Amino acid sequence: MNEEQVWLEQARKGDKTAFGHLIEAYQTPVYNLAYRMLNNSGEAEEAAQEAFIRAYTRLDTYNPAHKFSTWILSITSNYCIDVIRKRRALLLSIDEPLPPHPALKTQSSKGPEAQVLIQEQQDMVQALLQELPEDYRQTVVLRYWHDLSYEEIAEMMDTSVSAIKSRLFRARRQLAEVGMQYGLDPAMETAVAI
Amino acid sequence: MEHEEIYVMMMEALDGELADEQQPLLADHLRVCPPCMREWQALLTIDQLFRQTPLLSPAADFTQRTLARLPNTRYRVGLIGAIYMLLLFSGTLPILIGIWAISQYGSVVTQPGVVSSLIQSAAQIVQVIGAVLNALLNGLGEFVVQQPAVLGWLLVMIGIVSVWSGVYRQLIGWPSMSLTRVRSLNS
Repeated sequence: MNEEQVWLEQARKGDKTAFGHLIEAYQTPVYNLAYRMLNNSGEAEEAAQEAFIRAYTRLDTYNPAHKFSTWILSITSNYCIDVIRKRRALLLSIDEPLPPHPALKTQSSKGPEAQVLIQEQQDMVQALLQELPEDYRQTVVLRYWHDLSYEEIAEMMDTSVSAIKSRLFRARRQLAEVGMQYGLDPAMETAVAI
Repeated sequence: MEHEEIYVMMMEALDGELADEQQPLLADHLRVCPPCMREWQALLTIDQLFRQTPLLSPAADFTQRTLARLPNTRYRVGLIGAIYMLLLFSGTLPILIGIWAISQYGSVVTQPGVVSSLIQSAAQIVQVIGAVLNALLNGLGEFVVQQPAVLGWLLVMIGIVSVWSGVYRQLIGWPSMSLTRVRSLNS
């Protein structure tokens, strides 16, 4: 039994400290997924916390045959989709300027030029992601940042592998098209290599 | 070669899944087809941009704040256990009373006269229930015949409520839908 399985077993019995270790281990991928999906640091943090709370209260339904990371990301992405739908239902404008991610303000270890480049890169990525429908965005985020296989994404999104391939195909072409409109030409290829 | 085939090859190349024998085909086509070359460069740029963009982390005290929001499952497990015990007790209590009653009055109940009167009483109760149901159904039938407009209005109202609840569900998205997806992952 590895360390993670021990934490899971203890957390299942109500040990919050053990679950704290799981939060420490997965907070970055969970938060990153929420932020990429919601494009708002406050909502992303709320979504990440909610995902962990849901996971904690439903640990008895977790199947150890699957990776815990896949399970928690699945909870997070489903929660984010619900938030996006509710946001749309409330007719809130997502075009208004959103606060930048706090991590982007605290890259003090890097020089000012590098910070500007990172900021530009993050802004470009977020702007591009917001152009995609949420199911395409979800697929792109899970594929690029969480390195999930097509099979894992299909399982998480309750669809087929061919549907995921098709979504990623269309999403990439849409991103390429919008990227060019945003002035992201192939010459920028070296500029984004930070 | 069709452009759509080339796009598929581009996607496979981005995923590192393009077969060795297909790589020269893609390269040859890109050399002679400027639109496909532009598409490929755009895709490659996006791919590299996304791969090079790091994961974002939450604030430093995220774990502590999340732990503070966790419900106390030990208390919850105890409460659920107590509720189950209560339900079990409430279910077994009538059985225990029944066993006690049989042990006390079994000899009286099993006498032939008492059994036949019990059967007669049960039959009468069934007859009464049947008569009441019959009267209700007859009344409902007459109401439908006499007041078809009221019935039609009720059906229209049910239809409107169903349609709007469907629209509302699509807009809001039920949390239970996502729960189903999570459960399907676990099954």
